[in-house]
Amino acid sequence: MILEALIQNWVPQYAKVIDLGCGDGTLLESLHQLKSINPYGVEIDQKKILSCLSKNIPVIQADIDESIRDFEGLDFDIAILASSIQCLRHPDKALSNILSIAKKCIVTVPNFAHWQCRLQLSQGKMPVTKDLPAPWYATDNIHLCTIKDFEMLCIKLGLQIDQKKYLGTASSETFLSTRFPNLFASLGVYLIGSK
Amino acid sequence: MQTSNKLYKFKEELPLTSGQTLDGFELMVECYGNLNQEKNNAILLNHAFSGSHHAAGEHNGTLGWWDDFVGPNKILDTNKFFIVSANNIGSCFGSSGPISLDKNGKRYNADFPEISVKDWVQAQKLLADKLKIQTWKLVVGGSLGGMQSLQWAIDFPDMVEKVAIIAAAATVDSQNIALNEVEREVIRKDSYFYNGNYYEHGKVPTKGLKAARMLGHITYLSAQNMEQRFGRKLQDQQTKLDDTINFEVENYLQYQGGKFADVFDANSYILLTKVMDGFDPSAEYDNNLVKTFKNISAEMLIISFASDWMFPPARGKEMLKAAIKANKKCSFVEFEGAYGHDSFLYAEDNYPDTISTFLEGKL
Repeated sequence: MILEALIQNWVPQYAKVIDLGCGDGTLLESLHQLKSINPYGVEIDQKKILSCLSKNIPVIQADIDESIRDFEGLDFDIAILASSIQCLRHPDKALSNILSIAKKCIVTVPNFAHWQCRLQLSQGKMPVTKDLPAPWYATDNIHLCTIKDFEMLCIKLGLQIDQKKYLGTASSETFLSTRFPNLFASLGVYLIGSK
Repeated sequence: MQTSNKLYKFKEELPLTSGQTLDGFELMVECYGNLNQEKNNAILLNHAFSGSHHAAGEHNGTLGWWDDFVGPNKILDTNKFFIVSANNIGSCFGSSGPISLDKNGKRYNADFPEISVKDWVQAQKLLADKLKIQTWKLVVGGSLGGMQSLQWAIDFPDMVEKVAIIAAAATVDSQNIALNEVEREVIRKDSYFYNGNYYEHGKVPTKGLKAARMLGHITYLSAQNMEQRFGRKLQDQQTKLDDTINFEVENYLQYQGGKFADVFDANSYILLTKVMDGFDPSAEYDNNLVKTFKNISAEMLIISFASDWMFPPARGKEMLKAAIKANKKCSFVEFEGAYGHDSFLYAEDNYPDTISTFLEGKL
């Protein structure tokens, strides 16, 4: 909920929003109720597509990896990539492409360098945490990164970070998560744009 | 469910997009369920190219073409909704068409005026008036019926709450037109065609119509579907329809084509393929689909089938993109579809649930 509230603050009233990997449409539904946005969800799972339709949220069946450029020229104000960047085949290309379909992009990045991950790795195990809940054999994540890695990628791609929030495991900012994000932030949330 | 049909007669002139007029016309209609007192539970169902008003239930021993979807507790639930299904003008199942008589009692034959999808929508609007229906909860159809549903959303935005466009496109492409022209040519070259005036000669161009349908039929199936169903299986000697037949697929096409040619009218076939070829709602809007969709106020659902090579998913996405660009509420769902273009006829996968969830807003 805290994450949703945060994303709401970055989404202007009446914005045209595309949520890439929208799941059951919950986020778009609450954005629609609070900000009167014009929502479009993109989802590949047909059960989740039915959930979106049941919420009366327009949904497009597509594979994000293959289809971002299909949405070029359709005037989106905001694209949302919540908890899916690490599942994409080419996160770097995807980021650049997303900023060719929308003015701004909201991205969430689960931090693989969070102290809990480091601790579990030091014990010789793949981390399972709040923001990385699936065991290694059942995860869709193929491109995990750290807060530091993601921000370096933004610099490399020439993308501008307009806003960022470092959330701790309680999904809120803490003294430590903002001060030492790469160690204490479980999730980084970014509003990015092209320079 | 037993169903009965009713012929609605319209005395008024129907101005056509071709510039001609129909001086009165008739529509053969089947309705299912009951219109509620508020008259807000009506659904309009549009049939495909060679379809008819008989969409559901049993009539004279035949099940309707969408019986899987329409009936009590089905996707379009007749306990809740009032569903209207009309045979289109130009067809040959009871509505005005080439086999009808004009006001002088002369059969139209090839002189039946040129018809467009827009004309069908205008005629159905008059039907809605007669039924005292001011809004359609849903307008839905597959193939040419999907195109007709789209035209409804464009032409009468205030009357359409939701529109489901299935296995359709915003226009037919050059290949579709080319195939249709071959089908027309095959009919025209039947020696019994007599420039469309075959009834005056006491003949019917059944052979040409049959061959045309055989070609058409191939376009409604997918290569994969045909391979699975027939492969290279040889036709059984006892049941083969003709000595020239070797393979099962030949026998199948001969049988289906023959069955169709016995009930369909050749002039209708030519006229309806022309309706399909001519479909282009954007023609009125500078050939700009985004501009065309600006008027729409209905929530849209576009469904495509990956195995459909007549109107593949790319054609569905073309409509989707124009709708998004025009800031319309539009969803797009794609299914593999086991039957090629004809997949829209079968209640398989999540396809039926997708329609009912879109219609009723709940799972």
